[in-house]
Amino acid sequence: MKTLAIMRRDLLKLMRNPLTLLSTVLMPIIYLVVIGNSFQGQLRHLPVAVVAQDHGIYARRVVEQLLALQAGPKTVTLSFVSDPGTAIAGVRNGEYKGAVIIPPNFSHSVAEGRIAEIGLFTDNVDTVSSSTLESVLSDAAASIKVDFVTAREPKLNEIVMRPSWLFTYVDYDRSLIPGVIVMAIFMGSLMAGVFNWVMDKFMGVTECYLVTPLSRWNIAAGILGSGVTITSAVAVFVLFLGLLITRGTIEGGFPALMTLIGIIVITSTGLLAMTFAILGRAGHPRLVGTFAGFLNVILFFPSGAIYPVESFPPWLRSFAAYNPETHAVNAIKQILFKGADFAAVMHDLAFLLVFMGITLTLASMSFKRTL
Amino acid sequence: MMEPDSAAILTEDLTKRFGNFTAVDSVNFEVRRGEVFGMLGPNGAGKTTLVRMLTTLLPPTSGRATVAGEDIGRHARKVRERIGVIPQALTSDLDLTGWENVDIYGCFYGVPRSERHKRAHRLLEMVRLSDRANDLVATYSGGMRRRLEIARGLIHSPRVLFLDEPTIGLDPQSRRAVWDLLLELHNESEITVSLTTHYMDEAEQLCDRIAIVDHGKIIALDTPAGLKKLVNGSDRVEVQVDGNSEQVAASLRTQTYVSEVTIDGDKLIIATDDGAHVIPRLIESVESAGSRVTSLNVHQLSLEDVFIRFTGRTLRDEAAKKVSFLVGAGMPQQR
Ligand SMILES: Nc1ncnc2c1ncn2[C@@H]1O[C@H](COP(=O)(O)OP(=O)(O)O)[C@@H](O)[C@H]1O
Ligand SMILES: [Mg+2]
Repeated sequence: MKTLAIMRRDLLKLMRNPLTLLSTVLMPIIYLVVIGNSFQGQLRHLPVAVVAQDHGIYARRVVEQLLALQAGPKTVTLSFVSDPGTAIAGVRNGEYKGAVIIPPNFSHSVAEGRIAEIGLFTDNVDTVSSSTLESVLSDAAASIKVDFVTAREPKLNEIVMRPSWLFTYVDYDRSLIPGVIVMAIFMGSLMAGVFNWVMDKFMGVTECYLVTPLSRWNIAAGILGSGVTITSAVAVFVLFLGLLITRGTIEGGFPALMTLIGIIVITSTGLLAMTFAILGRAGHPRLVGTFAGFLNVILFFPSGAIYPVESFPPWLRSFAAYNPETHAVNAIKQILFKGADFAAVMHDLAFLLVFMGITLTLASMSFKRTL
Repeated sequence: MMEPDSAAILTEDLTKRFGNFTAVDSVNFEVRRGEVFGMLGPNGAGKTTLVRMLTTLLPPTSGRATVAGEDIGRHARKVRERIGVIPQALTSDLDLTGWENVDIYGCFYGVPRSERHKRAHRLLEMVRLSDRANDLVATYSGGMRRRLEIARGLIHSPRVLFLDEPTIGLDPQSRRAVWDLLLELHNESEITVSLTTHYMDEAEQLCDRIAIVDHGKIIALDTPAGLKKLVNGSDRVEVQVDGNSEQVAASLRTQTYVSEVTIDGDKLIIATDDGAHVIPRLIESVESAGSRVTSLNVHQLSLEDVFIRFTGRTLRDEAAKKVSFLVGAGMPQQR
């Protein structure tokens, strides 16, 4: 009853602060929308200048390929420029991300079987767009050559990569959902947990609890109970909102949803206990705010939520291996998109459970029932 | 001395040190059951620290105390069940209604539901908040919050009620309302009340006995009347003279009807037993000392005179506390 009374107090207080609750929902969703739209999986609309100094058949094919890139995947937005100097100057001053220059004798060289070159100047300070341009444009050029080659001497044992998907297609926005859920858990556990505790302490409110017969256990269980309830509710809400925004579904249906909720509850408890262990003794809510922003960044970005963990440098990869958010993101990803069964997430779940055990122990060790 | 278990509060050399600063210094006193006991002292005297020890919030550095018959160290939980505490800060939850504040607090003491509700109704009635009970506390004034907190502190029918500066920051009307409440409580129940304050009038109005606390020590303890007897003369005559006040004071001190003269700036404060009747003789004495009275004022000895007499006039600034260089006020050294 005493523990329930603490939960009742916390829940009532949180429910009367819809703005706080809303911000724990909104912030991760805004991340989803902003990250989803700012660094898309594939780059688009890169402005490219084209200078065609040759009008032969092969030159026209190259231009067709470029136009196809513009029309299809929309990787580039072309501007036809008459003189190479202007084009290169445009790249220099940032008007274009690249310039394609087809030299005067291009078609001729191709027809004669000599090495034909197209000039490509990229803004290589912007490494991401420059490497993308290099790869899509050399693919385009290669396709012309292949065409040319097949006409004369067919290559029979050519290997063609044809991508095939093992799972339902997941677009970039949707692939961010697991990370967004985990961020909502982080924000929620902070708002509903240690922030309230430190605020109460700062205002002197804890004093009127500590003079009652409430035990350490009552207080800790009450705070944890209400924190996990609110946080999990927020995370599930974010899950559905995320699916709604990206028009997705849960791959494994109801059992998968239950497993997801389980993962969410375990992660909430672990993160709640972790923030208590770290910040429970802080005396000013400002300190919680500052530290929380920092924790959010160091846990969220290396979690594989937006970029695959495998591509990290080794030091970051080993940090990611011990990052609870990595395991939470991965477990949610498996269940949400692949409908994977329990076995596939065993390792992540085991990690999260151990993490929860350790942080609960640490939090209860640091939790004092005195002023 | 009474048996220990008949005392509501009993302390033995109770001491609290913060580092090498002694906030409460070997305090001994006894509060009888049913008594309203006041601790009166300037800011920083150690009142809050003393109350925090008695209410099990801070462990004493040395010494012992029993509250409601139980040792505060060994049986803290039993003590907590038997006491009600209204801390100095306003601690009611702004996001909850008055009713919820009281009801939830009752749960913390394990008061069963029906009893809790019955008492909550009665207490809210008593503190005159019944018609606002379902409003959020955020809409209450400071005085209303304090009354609510008194109701909340009584939800489990404690044997001893601690109030730390209950009227600090309240307007005069709200202060009176709180006083009336405490007087009503005193008259209608057996409860023991321990109250700290730095307002003389409050202590005088409410308390059966008063301990004057300064620098962590009890420097006087008696009934308000008893305390007044500790100083000479039942009246105070304040006179302003236009001559050499030192000289006038010296000549007044030789008079038999004058028990004490203190000089306060350009005023002379004369302690005497029969203020109104000595005035003509006083004026005569001043004039015969070659001076003239320019203003004169007689009043009965107040607790304030006693208080100032015991604690002196120096201003009390808080002892310097350490503040972390890295996080400012973010990480306190224990409050
Ligand atoms: N946690 C603490 N650490 C260091 N000094 C403290 C602490 N708490 C109180 N003090 C000091 O002890 C003295 C008494 O404080 P307090 O009991 O709050 O006085 P009062 O309630 O009579 O105004 C003050 O000088 C205060 O600065
Ligand atoms: Mg105080």
